[in-house]
Amino acid sequence: MAVLLFFALAYPHHLHYQEQFQLFLFDSTYVWDIVRHLGGFADLLGRFCTQFFLYAWVGAAIIALLLSAIQLLTLRLLTSHLFYGLTFIPSFLLWLYLLNENALLSGVWAVLLSLLVACVIVKWANGWTRRILLIVAIPVLYYLVGPVCLPIPIDSLWLGVHYYRYPTIFPWLLWGAALSIWVIFGLYLLIRRRQVHSPHLSPLTSYLSFAIVAIIMGSFVWKNVNIKAEKVMQYDFMARHQQWNRILQTISAEKPNNQIGVTVQNLALAMRGMLLEQMANFNQNGIVGLLPDVKEDAASPLPTAEAFYQLGMINVAQRTVFEAQEAILDFQKSGRCYQRLAQTNLINGQYEVARKYLSALQKTLFYRDWANETLPLLGNEEAIARHPEYGRLRQWAYKDDFYFSDHVTPEMLESLYFGNTDNRMAYQYLLAYYVLTGDRERYNQFMSKKQ
Amino acid sequence: MRKIVYCLLFIVYCFAACTETVSDAKQETAQPSIYPDYIGVTIPVNIAPLNFSMADDNALLVDAVITDSHGHELHSQGDDAVDFDLDDWHALLADTRGDSLTVTVSAKYDDGWHTYRPFALYVSPDSIDYGLCYRLIEPGYEVWSKMGIYERDLSSFDESALIENTQFEGCVNCHSFNRGNPANMSLHIRGPHGATLLRHDNSSLTAYNTKTPQTLGLCVYPYWHPSGRYIAYSTNTTRQLFHSADRNRIEVFDEASDIQVYDVEKNELILSPLVKQDSVYETFPVFSADGRSLYFCAAVISEELRVKSEEFATAPQDSPVATANSTLNNFHYNLCRIDFDPATGTFGDHIETIIDAAAQHKSISFPRPSYDGRFLCYTLSDYGQFSIWHHEADLWLLDLNSSLFTLNSSLKNSPMTAANSDDTESFHNWSANSRWLVFSSRRDDGLYTRPYFCHVDTDGRVSKAFMLPQRHPRQFYRDRFFSFNVPEFIISPTRFDGRQAARIINSPSRSDFSVR
Repeated sequence: MAVLLFFALAYPHHLHYQEQFQLFLFDSTYVWDIVRHLGGFADLLGRFCTQFFLYAWVGAAIIALLLSAIQLLTLRLLTSHLFYGLTFIPSFLLWLYLLNENALLSGVWAVLLSLLVACVIVKWANGWTRRILLIVAIPVLYYLVGPVCLPIPIDSLWLGVHYYRYPTIFPWLLWGAALSIWVIFGLYLLIRRRQVHSPHLSPLTSYLSFAIVAIIMGSFVWKNVNIKAEKVMQYDFMARHQQWNRILQTISAEKPNNQIGVTVQNLALAMRGMLLEQMANFNQNGIVGLLPDVKEDAASPLPTAEAFYQLGMINVAQRTVFEAQEAILDFQKSGRCYQRLAQTNLINGQYEVARKYLSALQKTLFYRDWANETLPLLGNEEAIARHPEYGRLRQWAYKDDFYFSDHVTPEMLESLYFGNTDNRMAYQYLLAYYVLTGDRERYNQFMSKKQ
Repeated sequence: MRKIVYCLLFIVYCFAACTETVSDAKQETAQPSIYPDYIGVTIPVNIAPLNFSMADDNALLVDAVITDSHGHELHSQGDDAVDFDLDDWHALLADTRGDSLTVTVSAKYDDGWHTYRPFALYVSPDSIDYGLCYRLIEPGYEVWSKMGIYERDLSSFDESALIENTQFEGCVNCHSFNRGNPANMSLHIRGPHGATLLRHDNSSLTAYNTKTPQTLGLCVYPYWHPSGRYIAYSTNTTRQLFHSADRNRIEVFDEASDIQVYDVEKNELILSPLVKQDSVYETFPVFSADGRSLYFCAAVISEELRVKSEEFATAPQDSPVATANSTLNNFHYNLCRIDFDPATGTFGDHIETIIDAAAQHKSISFPRPSYDGRFLCYTLSDYGQFSIWHHEADLWLLDLNSSLFTLNSSLKNSPMTAANSDDTESFHNWSANSRWLVFSSRRDDGLYTRPYFCHVDTDGRVSKAFMLPQRHPRQFYRDRFFSFNVPEFIISPTRFDGRQAARIINSPSRSDFSVR
């Protein structure tokens, strides 16, 4: 219950973050491409579950179920209540592991499957049968779930297995969780062999050991919660889902002081036509808070890309989203990015490219309906012109061609505005730019040109 | 035993029952619209089966019967695509060498079967090389995700990776072989583990640092000398910018470039001031078939253009709004030639302009002489040298036996109309027998590059191009989010040890190029 409430209420946007950097396809080629790798079966299950993280409560429930199952299986592996509290340690370590947005659910599945097989063998087989089964199970498990089943801390065994988004980082906490099961089981065997058994103490030791573990591990979890990152992800999430009113409520309650927060804040203000009146009431972070330079990572460009898109800078948005997706460290694709790339290609009239993205989204669980609704728009100029978003953005998009790179300038905004003077977004951003730079000369030039 | 036989018979029956008989078909007068478009194409005798789907998504079943002039038939039926038996296909093609096949297509729709007017496949007696080597990469901008170099057996559907960037940190590009012979191979690695990997006469791979104090930068576009002793490289300072509102997305351009020849045996670069001029951007060097000439592309940079270019190069961070017409579209590359003496490794003393494309406000890239010395194929676009991002780019064929080298007057230098499309045609290469050309085209969807093949006969007649066959072509090309980049023929499997290459790449050891 604690895990469920934690991820659903305190950490929901970490789950959304995870979901947006993968695209689970119901497609045999996609599945085969995953399972043919070491640890691929656990990876497949992890990716399958991660698609549900689009809905934080469902994602939290999945994590809670997995961690509970690991605790229960650990308990089942042992028969002494003396170890009741210790059986929570692997789950707590995995909870700690999952606090990091780059830790993937495949690691949790790898631990769970290893434990499940261990339980089955220990409970259902004896003597030589058990030994033979163990000898067979370890290599099979090693292929299916990776080195978690045999937690030897050798880099070359772990690196490249898809437990963590950075392929070159050793997942110490995951290794610790896997190792803890072996240590607890080893302790249990040792004590059982020495026939240390105190049934009278069992209930007391059970509660006591649980309390100790819960307090110690709980404090570790609490100390490692990254609320700052959660807030940044929240802004990104709200921008993605175009929750402009919610953004305004959020910034009214607490002014954002990080770059993504400020970018999203200004975007929401502009979307509601309030940027010029309200911008002075919030942190601005200079002109970087308006349209930051695009960086070569997967996460930070996406809110900026949302601003580009809403401004009508379709090619700039397209490039930014494409690059962000390419920068996903574990080479996965993104449902969010595919959606946006389909939209930019649709607006640009590149219908066959848009169709390609939409065809992929049709193979997903949660983007299928959107793809099916969007496909009939391809090539239907009238429907696109009537569409409240695509029609407007088509009219706002650049008419004159010029070259751009990583840096958006007032000339680009000016060109956008003069291309269509109904584009109030461009107008607000341009004037905000002049306000933030204090460039009166250019402002005057613009105003005279406008008149 | 009897039960087993019954079971087997039942299974065979079940499979047989999966094929539906074409009955009561409406006879269409038109030829079918199929994907890929294989109608009337000329194919090599050893190509993989040309499986296809109906071009629309509405067909419930597609059925094809291929007949040769002796009455032999090959039949296939499928719900998405026909899938011909590999052995039967090759047997049929072997019997039809130099002749044509007739393909009768029927498709089942909601209203029943439709049978279309048959079309022909011409089976050329000219075989194609063993396979194709290409890079698979998303057609992106500056950041890359997963990519790799792959080889594909052209007589089957087998594809395997030589090396992928999951094996090291960085990017891999510009694979090159000597006339398709993988015994001589060059491959660039970029990024923190940057190197050029060379394999000479089947020796083990060696990693080189190709930048020297006397040259502009790293070696870039490679081309092997027919003797295998030299590799011509360009060295380029390259940059990218992006279009705000143009059919072309990206502009890749050079801010400087030179040409140099690497002597593999002496491990030294051979330079010449004639192909290392500040006022000329030289790039895409290729040796002639006899190895005694070096063709290349060159753009003469006027003083005015140089000043504008320098302003432009430094401007974008402050003022990126530059009209597309101002600078970059004034870069026009001509096709040039300089003598090269392979015995001494020396350049000639003058440069000859073979095609003055700049005079026509056009630009030439990727010159590729056929190995029989007869033709030279190149890409023609409106400006610049990175034609893959130019939708107007087309292939042209120059007859090297002709002395009439103008763009618009001579039949000896003409667009390869039968092979070109309305969209991009760019990088290309000849098969070892000089009868087949593979080239990159974006005709499929305007973005993702696919390999196409066309036949060029001894008189320079070009056949209609056909796309690289796949077992389930529509599904394959729709689901693959990669471009086929730099398709190169290979005459045999590369036998490239990717693990060993990764070890070499990840080790810090590099051999330096020296300069003569």
